[in-house]
Amino acid sequence: MRTKDVFSYSFSAIKLRKLRAALTTLGVIIGIASIVALLSISQGLQTTITNQLEQGLAADTLLVSVSTGGAFGGGPGGGGGGGFGGGTGSSASSGFKLYINYTDEIKSLSQDVEASFAVIQQSGYIQNGDAIRQFNGGVTGVNFSEYAGIYSTTFLAESGTIPLSPQDDVVVIGARVHDPRLNGTRFADVNDNVTLIWTNATQLPFLNQTYSARVTAVLPRVGGFGIGGPSDSGVYIPISKAQSFFGTDEASSIIVKLKNSDNATIATVSKLITDHFANQVNVISATAVLSLLTTIFSTLTLFLGGIAAISLLVAGIGIMNIMIVSLIERTREIGILKALGMKSRAVLAIFLCESVIIGLIGALVGIALGWVLANTVAVLFSGGGPFGGGGGLSITPILTPEVLLLALGFGVGVSVIFALYPAWRASKLRPVDALRYE
Amino acid sequence: MSTPVVEAKDLKKTYMLGKIPVEALRGVNLRVDVGDFLAILGPSGSGKSTLLNLIGALDKPTSGKLLIEGTEVSALNDNHLTDIRRRIGFVFQFFNLIPRLTARDNVELSLSIANVGKAERRKRAEQLLETVGLKERMKHKPAELSGGQQQRVAIARALANDPRFLLMDEPTGNIDSKTAHEVIELIRNLNEQKGVTIIMVTHDQNLSREAKRVVEVFDGMISSDVVN
Repeated sequence: MRTKDVFSYSFSAIKLRKLRAALTTLGVIIGIASIVALLSISQGLQTTITNQLEQGLAADTLLVSVSTGGAFGGGPGGGGGGGFGGGTGSSASSGFKLYINYTDEIKSLSQDVEASFAVIQQSGYIQNGDAIRQFNGGVTGVNFSEYAGIYSTTFLAESGTIPLSPQDDVVVIGARVHDPRLNGTRFADVNDNVTLIWTNATQLPFLNQTYSARVTAVLPRVGGFGIGGPSDSGVYIPISKAQSFFGTDEASSIIVKLKNSDNATIATVSKLITDHFANQVNVISATAVLSLLTTIFSTLTLFLGGIAAISLLVAGIGIMNIMIVSLIERTREIGILKALGMKSRAVLAIFLCESVIIGLIGALVGIALGWVLANTVAVLFSGGGPFGGGGGLSITPILTPEVLLLALGFGVGVSVIFALYPAWRASKLRPVDALRYE
Repeated sequence: MSTPVVEAKDLKKTYMLGKIPVEALRGVNLRVDVGDFLAILGPSGSGKSTLLNLIGALDKPTSGKLLIEGTEVSALNDNHLTDIRRRIGFVFQFFNLIPRLTARDNVELSLSIANVGKAERRKRAEQLLETVGLKERMKHKPAELSGGQQQRVAIARALANDPRFLLMDEPTGNIDSKTAHEVIELIRNLNEQKGVTIIMVTHDQNLSREAKRVVEVFDGMISSDVVN
């Protein structure tokens, strides 16, 4: 029997039981849609985070922060706030403190270090007129010119200007401090006089420190977490002012710029720094974080894919079940076909073909549905959506050709595998028995 | 003399009914030549259905020789038996048309199984339906046709692949006597005018009188073989 004829015969059998075929296909659709949705969201998320990381933490940049010991010993110290190591140095269990003037020590460690500067970060409030808000980017003290040198694409003025040798009373604000809901409702704008408030909790009673500053620039929108670099919800003040305001010489982190970004240089300098501070600091490089991220995401992808695969497995069992019912119902038909001279392998092909049609339709509809689902979820969870976090993390779901082929192959593959047994049983029916079947 | 269409020598078939062996055929000798119109007559349980299954290559004998078109079938595997079946035109008591296909598609199905191309298939199916007098109804599904019409579609389907012989199982067993007569007429015409060899199994003596030759089966053996 010709392939085309096998196909059209199988199709006529499916058409006869439309509802049943539709429900069977629905199983495949759900399985494939969940695979596609989960994988494309997770890949989109990975790309978003990777991009932000690459933006925030250039390949030739190291981030030195106090080792908190324990769980995060070797990894990134959490992505919260405006950067890694967002907490204060005083949280270190060992009592080790990273001081601002360590930058010189770090610079003298190796010829490969081009520059090194400190970042002081604390959480604080900012008041403009009657409005008072806390932003999760915190208040960060940096050397404006050095910071702009490293984050040249993100630490620049969208409006206003960033003074390279600033006076103490200037402040640079992130896009979400300027416009917290990104809808035009301004919190603060260039040339506004704002008050910065920091609660000094190192002594009793707690004391609110305040000072007045002028907004000199608004940063462009960076999006996402602002890992390592400027954050949309960050407030930036000159490092010297931060020292006096927060009353500390302690750095939250020290940023080290290297002359080369090759892995050997990164490894050597990282080791020199950790050794110099007797393993009491973490040195994070973009390369290390990226490889960790890749590991996390491949595990996550496997996990999500596994969950989705279970639903596909259930769909497969549904197919098998339906095929066995169909086989029993059509026993006599199989007998007729065999009496008319149809070969066993053609009977096998007809039954397999039915499942291929179901699998193919299920996979195609499932891919489309999964894609729609992924985009819906992405919109809902992006900055503007109802579930969007303050971070404004925007995910663009990515459907790679690999995932597309995987989904298609899985849909058809599972359908065929679960149809093998019923189809084989159909092909093995003896015509005498099948014809006698009522 | 040409090769006989069917030749059986001491044909035996024993099958198991649960754990009890049943000797359905106990040594049948039969020869059917080209152009014959043979009725195999016998009451139920006589073994005539078993004989039909063997002649139709639907089943294999336990012992003895069975040659269809000169080919010994008892040694053939499933695949080769299927090849033999393509040379036989089956007509069943319950028509056995595929309900979801139209009359024309049912006839075409038989041709598509034999790898005949679409255009030729259609042409031939339409010719055959015209031969059996159903040209006007070829786009109807079996449920929209009377019993007699369905059986005529089944005959057209059986003729589709130019079979060496037609093998009929109670061809009028499930249709009323008036249309049964039309079907008989058609069968006789096929035999007399087109020279189609016909083997017909029945328990109906009236029907068997229409055949040129009547073979009576009783208790697994041939009890008489008379030319009308």
